[in-house]
Amino acid sequence: MEKVFEIYIKTTPEQLWQAITNSELRQKYWFGVGIETDWTPGSGYVTGHRAAGVSIGEGENLEVDPPRRLVQSFTALWSDDVKAEGTSRVTWEIEPVGDSCKLTVIHDQLNDTTNAQIYGGWPQILSGLKTLLETGGTLTTPGSLMYSQAGS
Amino acid sequence: MVTYCWGVTDDQVFKALADPTRRFLLYLLFDRDGRTLTELESELSMTRSGVMKHLKVLEDAGLVVTRKSGRRKLHYLNPVPIRLVHDRWVSKYAEPWVAALSELKTSIEE
Repeated sequence: MEKVFEIYIKTTPEQLWQAITNSELRQKYWFGVGIETDWTPGSGYVTGHRAAGVSIGEGENLEVDPPRRLVQSFTALWSDDVKAEGTSRVTWEIEPVGDSCKLTVIHDQLNDTTNAQIYGGWPQILSGLKTLLETGGTLTTPGSLMYSQAGS
Repeated sequence: MVTYCWGVTDDQVFKALADPTRRFLLYLLFDRDGRTLTELESELSMTRSGVMKHLKVLEDAGLVVTRKSGRRKLHYLNPVPIRLVHDRWVSKYAEPWVAALSELKTSIEE
């Protein structure tokens, strides 16, 4: 199964790439969760909130082509149910359009009966990413920063 | 006027959602994503051009996105514009009330 999410954000490809790959920026829109990796192709990554003892996901950086394209394998770790889903793939495509960027997130290699939790967070993450880049702020909707200590 | 996407406004999202045929198309994609026009058309008693017109409105509102797979054009439900409307209109202070009233309605009507 394949899921496709698309959003237009008024920003540059470079700023968008930075917001996707910088751990501190990710924490502002990704449920408070950061990422640890060196971003070299073929390297591994882990996401979570170390201080809160939360593990969210792990995988490999399959393609790293700043500021246009990022492909990662993804294994969810936040519960036994999602761990049982195995490994899927997430592709980020950044395309400049006028003074904005079209960002497409393709989450594929999902099981046909996959748990919707695996891909259900994308609209909220992308909405928060747009808010961060366009206003510098964070979303105040519940759960937006559920794992960040500042938000708890 | 609030712009969510490249030239896409609230009005386009709400107008796209205001039609039962278009909501049915979204439901079909919610049920199973990545369908072709022919597959979608087979679920509706409507001409091909009629279905195409509705899909165009949904695409212009950002609610449906398409990807090429070989020679096939596949349609996907993009829920992001609905989330943007939600995040703009429902604050962390309002959401507990909205959720409680929604649950109350569900439990009374069951």
